[in-house]
Amino acid sequence: MRGLLKNNIYATLSGGKLFGIFMCLVGSIAVSVVSQSLLIGYGLTGIVGFTVCALIVVQKEFTSKWGKYKLTLPVRRADIIKSQFWNHLIWLLVGVVFAGAGIGLSWLFHGCQFDQPLDILMLFALGVSISLFLGALYFPLFYLIGEERGEIILGIALLCAFVMDWGLISILNDLFGPGRTAILIETAALFVCSLSAFFLSCPLTTWIYSRKEY
Amino acid sequence: MENILELQQISKTFPKSNFTLDNVSFSLPYGAIGGFVGENGAGKTTTIGCILNTVRKDNGTVKLFGREMLDADTALREKIGVVYDGDNFPSFWTAKQLSRVMAGFYAQWDDALFWHYLKRFQLLPEQKLKNYSRGMTMKLAIAAALSHRPQLLILDEATSGLDPVMRDEMLDVFLEFVQDERHSVLLSSHITSDLEKVADYITFLHNGRLLMTVSKNDLAYRYAVMRCRENQFRALDSGDIIAYRKRDYQIDVLVSDGEAARKKYHDVVVDHVSIDEMLLLLIKGIR
Repeated sequence: MRGLLKNNIYATLSGGKLFGIFMCLVGSIAVSVVSQSLLIGYGLTGIVGFTVCALIVVQKEFTSKWGKYKLTLPVRRADIIKSQFWNHLIWLLVGVVFAGAGIGLSWLFHGCQFDQPLDILMLFALGVSISLFLGALYFPLFYLIGEERGEIILGIALLCAFVMDWGLISILNDLFGPGRTAILIETAALFVCSLSAFFLSCPLTTWIYSRKEY
Repeated sequence: MENILELQQISKTFPKSNFTLDNVSFSLPYGAIGGFVGENGAGKTTTIGCILNTVRKDNGTVKLFGREMLDADTALREKIGVVYDGDNFPSFWTAKQLSRVMAGFYAQWDDALFWHYLKRFQLLPEQKLKNYSRGMTMKLAIAAALSHRPQLLILDEATSGLDPVMRDEMLDVFLEFVQDERHSVLLSSHITSDLEKVADYITFLHNGRLLMTVSKNDLAYRYAVMRCRENQFRALDSGDIIAYRKRDYQIDVLVSDGEAARKKYHDVVVDHVSIDEMLLLLIKGIR
């Protein structure tokens, strides 16, 4: 597993570094300008963007024979998949740290830009759940449909993740209406649903991957 | 003789491409280099896929080190080094990064040995692999495959991108590798001259079928090709003919015992047969 994690991190690092520089630039603007929508955009981009970088790498491995070569290494197929899910979580954490730093600095310099501090929790729940749904959809689809269609699968998965979050929030809004309790319930629901989907997706992807031939 | 690798009746069908690997059986003893030849699409890579479990065989057994390798047998894969044709590793890595990643995979990864090979093959550790030439990429893959001290090296067209000087250097590395009689190499290649230099056994594959496996000694001292005229060919005992091929002014006939053929057919020219010629006779000739 150590080798697999190293492999995934090295692979994501090249794209991740560039995205990190981009986030620093956007972050410096978001921190210096007083704008709630800019801050929301920065936060969501940061949380989702790093995981997108991690997912692009999964496809990049198949442009060389590395995807096939890995199967000849002393690792189980299940561990290869697990390592990709772990990598997704690691880069999600990096995204959360970037988003947290930007929003934290903005609060420090200009005070809270949101209607209430609880909205920040909702923003993070939204970003994290989009990322988790994205991973939950992308991995099984990628191995099921085919490595050569990685970009389109990523686009579809990202769109579906947004729609799932939007749908979930709409249903919960209808059920509980606006208010502090509703936000807390929505936040919890986003976390629970996306985490469940993410963790259920791992054995499903392993099952699909164990049947793949290279 | 104990075998490091044994394939028995391996079959695999790809319904989409209508290709079938049909009951392929051969073995590779410890301390030997096995060559694997056949035209494009003969099934060499599929066979290697079945050995390494990257392709799921429909039937048959593959025994590595005396037992079948399952997905969970990671300890068994520690003992195998693999080199594929082309880019084995992501192009955005450097050799130094590759070493760090490989050290995480293999318990027996020998960093010093890897750096020794980098130096020997004149590879730059800090350069991105995308800037490597094809030859350098292949040399790096061979260095990586050797640096966890495997017992069995499986190379799928690994020498095809190398120039003759580099190829010769690599063949020396393989010969060094098998010297202690506990290591073996399975080498699939189109370049039959390479196999003539190093292979102890040569397996011929055509259209997914195993044509034959011959030892280097048998190829050099037993198998032969008879150059016959039409009337001489008609006088041959059909039991002596493995395969024959009509050419402009003669018929080439592959026989399994050149010495016996010389004694039996005095007026026919009997020549040594090369791997290339044997392959052509087996594939293009009439068997």
